[in-house]
Amino acid sequence: MVRVEVKWQKEVFKDLEVDISAPPAVFKTQLFSLTGVAPDRQKIMGLKGGLLRDDADWGSTGIKDGSRITMLGTAGAVPVAPTQAPTFLEDLPEDQQDVMGLSKYGAGLENLGNTCYMNSTLQCLYGVEELREDLARYAAASLTSTDPNATLTTATKSLFSSLSTSAQPVPPMAFLLSLRKKFPQFAQQARQGMEEGYYMQQDAEECWTNLLYVLRETLQGSSPAAGSAVERLFGVRLAARLTCAESGESLEEVGTAYTLKCNISAEVNHLADGIRLGLKEDREKTSAALGRIAPFVGSSQITALPPYLTVQMVRFYYKADVQQKAKILRKVAFPAQLDVFEFCSPELQAELKAPREAAKAAEDAKAGATKSGSGPAAAGDAAPGPSTAAGPADAPAPATMAAANTPPAANSGALTARYELCGVLTHKGRSADSGHYVAWVKQGDGRWILFDDDRMEVREEADVLALAGGGDWHMAYLLEDPKAQA
Amino acid sequence: MTSAPGGSRACLRYKLTGAAGGVVGERGHEYVRHLSGEIGEEVGARRAAGEAVDDLLALVDLIVPYDMSHNAEPDAIDLLLEVDRVADLPRHVDAGNAERAARYLQACAAYLPEPEDEAALRAVHAVHMRVGRHAGALRVGLALGDAELVGAAWRAAADGGERCQLAYIMGRAGFVPDLEEGSLAVADEALRERYFSCYSNSRLPELYAALGRDLDVMEPKLPEDVYKMHLVEGRVPTGPAVDSARANLSATFVNGLVNAGFGKDKLVTPGVEDDAVHWVFKNKDHGKLSAAASLGLVMLWDLEGGLPAIDRFLYSNDPHVVAGALLGIGVLSCGVADEVDPALAILSEYVGGAEAWPRIGAALGLGVAYAGRGRADVADLLAPMVADPDTPMEATVAAALGLGLAFAGRAHGGAVEAALQALMLRGEAELAHPFGTMLALALGLLFLRTGEAVEATLEVVRTLPPALAEPTLATLRACAYAGTGDSTIAVLGVAMVASGEELGTAMAYRALEHLLQYGEPSVRRGVPLALALLNVSNPEVGVMDTLSRLSHDADADVAGSAVLALGFVGAGTNNARLAGILRALSSYYHKEPTLLYTVRLAQGLTHMGKGLLTLDPYHADRALLSAPALAGILTVLFAGLDMKACLGGRQHYLLYALVPALHPRMLMTLDEEGKQLSVPVRVGAAVDVVAAAGRPKTVTGFQTHTTPVLLSAGERAELGTTKYLPLTSVLEGVVVLRPNPDWVEEAE
Repeated sequence: MVRVEVKWQKEVFKDLEVDISAPPAVFKTQLFSLTGVAPDRQKIMGLKGGLLRDDADWGSTGIKDGSRITMLGTAGAVPVAPTQAPTFLEDLPEDQQDVMGLSKYGAGLENLGNTCYMNSTLQCLYGVEELREDLARYAAASLTSTDPNATLTTATKSLFSSLSTSAQPVPPMAFLLSLRKKFPQFAQQARQGMEEGYYMQQDAEECWTNLLYVLRETLQGSSPAAGSAVERLFGVRLAARLTCAESGESLEEVGTAYTLKCNISAEVNHLADGIRLGLKEDREKTSAALGRIAPFVGSSQITALPPYLTVQMVRFYYKADVQQKAKILRKVAFPAQLDVFEFCSPELQAELKAPREAAKAAEDAKAGATKSGSGPAAAGDAAPGPSTAAGPADAPAPATMAAANTPPAANSGALTARYELCGVLTHKGRSADSGHYVAWVKQGDGRWILFDDDRMEVREEADVLALAGGGDWHMAYLLEDPKAQA
Repeated sequence: MTSAPGGSRACLRYKLTGAAGGVVGERGHEYVRHLSGEIGEEVGARRAAGEAVDDLLALVDLIVPYDMSHNAEPDAIDLLLEVDRVADLPRHVDAGNAERAARYLQACAAYLPEPEDEAALRAVHAVHMRVGRHAGALRVGLALGDAELVGAAWRAAADGGERCQLAYIMGRAGFVPDLEEGSLAVADEALRERYFSCYSNSRLPELYAALGRDLDVMEPKLPEDVYKMHLVEGRVPTGPAVDSARANLSATFVNGLVNAGFGKDKLVTPGVEDDAVHWVFKNKDHGKLSAAASLGLVMLWDLEGGLPAIDRFLYSNDPHVVAGALLGIGVLSCGVADEVDPALAILSEYVGGAEAWPRIGAALGLGVAYAGRGRADVADLLAPMVADPDTPMEATVAAALGLGLAFAGRAHGGAVEAALQALMLRGEAELAHPFGTMLALALGLLFLRTGEAVEATLEVVRTLPPALAEPTLATLRACAYAGTGDSTIAVLGVAMVASGEELGTAMAYRALEHLLQYGEPSVRRGVPLALALLNVSNPEVGVMDTLSRLSHDADADVAGSAVLALGFVGAGTNNARLAGILRALSSYYHKEPTLLYTVRLAQGLTHMGKGLLTLDPYHADRALLSAPALAGILTVLFAGLDMKACLGGRQHYLLYALVPALHPRMLMTLDEEGKQLSVPVRVGAAVDVVAAAGRPKTVTGFQTHTTPVLLSAGERAELGTTKYLPLTSVLEGVVVLRPNPDWVEEAE
């Protein structure tokens, strides 16, 4: 029997009696009762011969009265590997390796030769979640289909599905072919200069309009009753009241527009000014009363608002003297939240009144509750970015801004006429026939992603709002706003 | 006479012809200096001719005391060096001139050939001893690696505060004295335990934590706090949805380095109870090794708290985790002496095991834990593993590097033999890069700064196949003393030989600049790492600019080396400019996994220990070189020569070889009882005061702080009060203060 001192972590057990006639295993049991550390987890040091073994001979360990022994060991659980081994990025096939962490926002689109107009248009449309869902439900046409509309819609569907799964840039080859088949003007090739024989740059707005035209024909909403998906998502019902000053007669026209125009004149500094100008309907018309063509004046009013409102900045116009589509570089500021209440018809305004007040009350309450709370919950998920396109030769190139107002879940269907900016398509360059288009799309988590062909980058909202023009940098061309959530 | 034609030595002739003996000073200083010069020439001429020089030496004996008592210590020392009588110097010093004399002679020693440099340093030791400057004498003894000189200083020092001070210096230099028996024995057990706590470094965690608390950096940091992705334009701060094994591995290292020594972090120290899946298992395969070992880095030096924290990983059924736990135990025990040697007791159980991974962890762990200690029991464990041709190659390399670390610069016979055997017995295929390079390095580390001792081994190496012999020879020569040959390793050799000495460093810069412009690709790859070696933990703007430029080099290997070099240059400095450069690089290389990983490592190094640590192998006012620290740095630099195959591949765990180089860059002041004592100190740029007359200020552009303080590269501290006297003249690391008996409180 010897007396030793055992140190375990920060504790010291003094004068511990060790029965050296019994094997060390017994001593370990003794320590187990003191420390709770199982004998097989005990490492006993400080004696000769390294760690003390269960069957060691006490004599060879040099143990004596007053020996200082250190015991190492813990009673805690042994860390175990998770039952399901984690999957790492490196384990995935290369095309799914998302090094940047951006694949949840889609994927880039490769430039197939002056196709940035198309890429940016597609990225803006991809940002519209409802459209993605509707496309996913679309019954794909067979490969042999001769209906160009069906082929193009099918190509869009499959392209969008690759965008959602791939972590690498996607080449939109099939889509481009069906687009050019349906709209041969996009297959125009340069006939002179350095770019001779190459496909030419095109106008993004034209691409947007034409693509939506096809989708309007082919794509149905979630139920047959919902009608055309594009109509429901983007259609703005307009009613124009025109009066003829000479005859005093007035007439009404109703119609559906898919973009609001923002005309840019020397007085236009802000988006709202441009829209007001764009809704003016001054034109010459045959007057029934006079029996001849007479000037009518008036303007359109919105009678129904879509979930996504597209606004085009009319930035390109045909300059006769140089025979070119020139660009208006004027700075036109646009807000992160656009209120189109003033452009609505009195009936629609009356309808909007209650939801707007409710939304305002909710907002006030929220502001009161948490001053630091961030702005309105990210509403939109799609934003068109900037792109360069050469527009058709004669028409002034329009820029569009789409704003859509998503009703709050609790207040379903109640529009507030406030649209949250969710996508911007911008153009950089001096004329419609040159330059570069890119898309800036707001994501569900409130982050802005810049889609520049195959590249994706994270941007701040301030960067997007700086795309108002006034210089040679990218400027907004098409704006897409989903409805703001109350 | 002083205007007599050169070479005529007229002055000396008349002095010898005239009255013998007597005085030399009556004709003034100019005369004495001239006479000294002629004596030097005459002694040289007569010795060459085999004539006696006794009359001249008698004159020397007159001149030296005159010089020493007239503030002309450099003249006296120059004369003594000329006539090879430097050992006489100690006779002539007194308390007033000892410091200046010692400083000048020590500076001279760097430029003297072997064996005169050693004689000069011995004289410095004697000078210190004569006036009771025991700490200074101890440092000279440590620099020479001479246990007898170290012992002389220890025996002469008084018990209590002074010996504590010496023990702290020994602890920093990794010297473990035997106080139980022998000439250094201390009879009083309480005193012996007190000294043990000083030289064993067991107080290091406590003092380091005190420094951390004083600077308010105790809060654990996450890798994200280092990356600062929110400052990088156009990047998602959250990263990919699926974990990247490589990103997690770099996070492991960054986390370990940043929280090194603080004992607390947010990834590996929380228990399994707090988190469903422990961080270790968020790493892939061999990544788990480094992840488990990073626990040792976080718990660095803290045996008491660290071993229980790491213990449970030893019982994992995953061999990578066990290997990591073993390496972790080695890491946390690095440089800390303990009575029961837990690291040796535990790791020795696994060295001879059947599974390769635990053997790798245990072997490298032993090397790190006992780096530079030269312990025979470690050699007995590792040498057979290195020499055995049946050991898996990766384990052999780990064991060889372990030996290299443990016996850095000791030219230990058994270790050298084992490493040579491995080089000779293994086939060329097995020694293909990177294993061959690392084995050669392991052999080189054994000869670190040993000079001629390497020659016999060089002969053996020449018999190896040429492809292997050439790099091995270059490595060995570079390690032992001189750079040669035309390979990447030789480039590093240039820096290794030049490092630690200002003029040599400047020359090396020029040589490296030429290599950059005209060198072959493989040579250019070594240049950034050579620059790193010259500027460890010393972020000079010029070097940073060069490396920043190279980090965008079209050659990815050069760029990778440059990025790693940036990490070394900024290691432990928190340098804001460097952090900015690295952030920009992390954005620039976001699509290059290997380079991004290297950038992350560099970021981790830069913020190492939250800015409280240094990697600099030189300490004690750059007078002492820590061989294990240099060995560790070299291991990582060599492993960084080929990032893809080695450091950035599956041998990432070699990064832990850096641990012996980790030291707090602090000045901590204690009273004679060992309690912390805060005093004002002036910290500023160090001024070279060698041969400067009078009592010049040793710092310039200083600011006054209260201890503990951080010292950056090129900085020095002076005590800002006369209330206390430091027991060492070099204010670095742990300094013991004694109240000044002559101090009188100044009237306000």
